[in-house]
Formats: sequence, structure tokens, C-alpha cells
Amino acid sequence: MVFNEKIVDAGELKHIEGKIELYWIYTSGEAGDRFFKALKDEGKFLAAKCTCCGKTYFPPRIYCEYDFSETEFVEISGEGCVRAFAVATLDNNEESLKNPEIYAIIDMDGTDGCIIHLLGEMDAEDIRVGMKVKPVLKSKEEREGRITDILYFKPV
Amino acid sequence: MAVGKKDISCPPYVKGREIKAEDIKEGKVTYWEHHPDIRYSFTAGQAISRFLKGLKEGKLLATKCDHCGRIMFPPRMFCELCFRPVDEWCEVKDTGVVETFSVSYIDPDAKPLEEPVIVAVISVDGASPKMGFMHILGEVDPDDVYIGMKVKAVWKSESEREGSVTDIKYWKPLEG
Repeated sequence: MVFNEKIVDAGELKHIEGKIELYWIYTSGEAGDRFFKALKDEGKFLAAKCTCCGKTYFPPRIYCEYDFSETEFVEISGEGCVRAFAVATLDNNEESLKNPEIYAIIDMDGTDGCIIHLLGEMDAEDIRVGMKVKPVLKSKEEREGRITDILYFKPV
Repeated sequence: MAVGKKDISCPPYVKGREIKAEDIKEGKVTYWEHHPDIRYSFTAGQAISRFLKGLKEGKLLATKCDHCGRIMFPPRMFCELCFRPVDEWCEVKDTGVVETFSVSYIDPDAKPLEEPVIVAVISVDGASPKMGFMHILGEVDPDDVYIGMKVKAVWKSESEREGSVTDIKYWKPLEG
């Protein structure tokens, strides 16, 4: 029986190793570019208001998806309310985090949009849905035009 | 008129903005880049590991099922027709017949090749009918290849063999 002749020495079992090369650059787009540059250079938050229906998009868009009108950029405070949150105790590799990370959907004041970001300077037990939060940005020198330029949102 | 058509006042297109590679290099536009490190290790398993070891020794190994009598090549540990483990190892010849073939003028990156590669499915003599594997043909003009052509393996020298399918350099036509 062939079953009795099985390879038991792991060194004799062959394997093939491979690597898949993937590399991409994803640009922020016309409106995303304006948003990240305003965040990086001035520490400001931009939204886009439809000139026709008045719906305010956050993150900004270059046109309104309901009536196809153009939008105009408006400055917003960056403050918002927690709509929902989740506490992560594991990292991407499922290893325990020393300090749990709190992710939240934050409805931005003065807009119809929201942002998903971290909450900081508070305990998970103290978070309430609807609580007011404001952003904490990196220092101007450290900002590089990315969403991580916002460190986290903290209670007002 | 299209159902639900709206009275749209904006132009039917928005003029795009061209981005050059320099704009990204100089940081004129914001972007996100990612380079995921995807690695894998694929085990050959019991039967193929032994098959590859056989190649290093210059042998083509197959397995036999005593129930249906098939000699299976490439070898496997289990007969998928009888649902039972195979019974013994045996050796098959290094000659065979071209079942089908394809002439490739590009490499895996779709770059043009100077010399075309002839890829063929070869059923190996000594194994059950239509049992074989895919390999490349050599010492033959693409125009001269035909289905049913008898071929023989051209091996690397013993010192060059490393237990891989590339231990057979190619298969050449068997004259006569």
C-alpha cells in the first residue's frame, strides 16, 4: 500500500514559494485634492454645497449626485457628533492592542456627510452616541495631506 | 423620450484634469500609495513531492489503482474514480504523444519573444490513455508540430537537476 510509504521527513516534502507584486497610487481626485490641501496647509475642513438644492457633501464632491448641479466649497468647523462607534482590541494581524482603539462614525456639523475616524482622550465607557467631538490635528510640519493628518477626535 | 429624464442644466461632461508622473513626485496632488507584501508558500503534497524527487533521479513516477487499473500520471494518492487510496508506485517512459499544443510569441509579462515557445500537453507512454502533463517542445519548427506527434524528453544533466519540472529541458520529436 502506498499509504505505508508516506513521506514523513518534512525536508523531503516540496513546496513552492511565490510573491505577488502589487503597487498602486490612488489620487484623491479634484474635490479630495482640495480637501486634503486645505487640511494640510491651513488645518481647515472643507465641504461642498450644492448650488441648487443646498445639500452639503462631506467629504466634498465636485457635483451633486441628486440634481447633477455643480457644488461650491464651504468651510466647516470640523466638529461633529458621534453617530456610532466600535472599540477595537485587536490590530490588523489579530494581535492584542495595549491601548484599544475607538473607531467612530462622526456626523460633521453643517453638512449632510460623515467621517470614520478614531476617538481619543477618552475611555470607551464614557462614549455616548450623540456626544460632541472636535478634531485634533498633527502639527503643520508633520501634516502630509492624508486622512492621518487628523490624529483623532476628542470630546468638546 | 427616456422615462424619468431630468432637465439637466450642467454640461454632459466635466472636463478632467491631466496628472503627470512629476505632479505626483513633486507632491502637487494628494494621493495614497500602497505596496502590499503578498507572499505564499504552496506545498506540493505527498504524491507530487515524490514525483519531483523522481525527476531529480531522471525518472517519471506514476501511481496505480488496482481497482480500475489506471496508471495515473502525474501521480496522486487517491483514485478520484474509485474513491480509494492508490496501491503502488510505478515508472512510466519519458516518451509521449502531443495531445494539443499552442505557439506562444509572448512571455508571462506579455513582452514579445524573439523565439516562440511551443507549449504542449503530452500524454506519456506507459500511463493510462490521456494521462499526461504540460511542457514545452524543442528542436522543432512551430509549423512542423502536429497533434499525435511522438516526442521524447530531453533531460538536464544529472548535476543540474534539482527536483523541478524544469529538470526536463523540453520534449523533442522522436524520429521514426
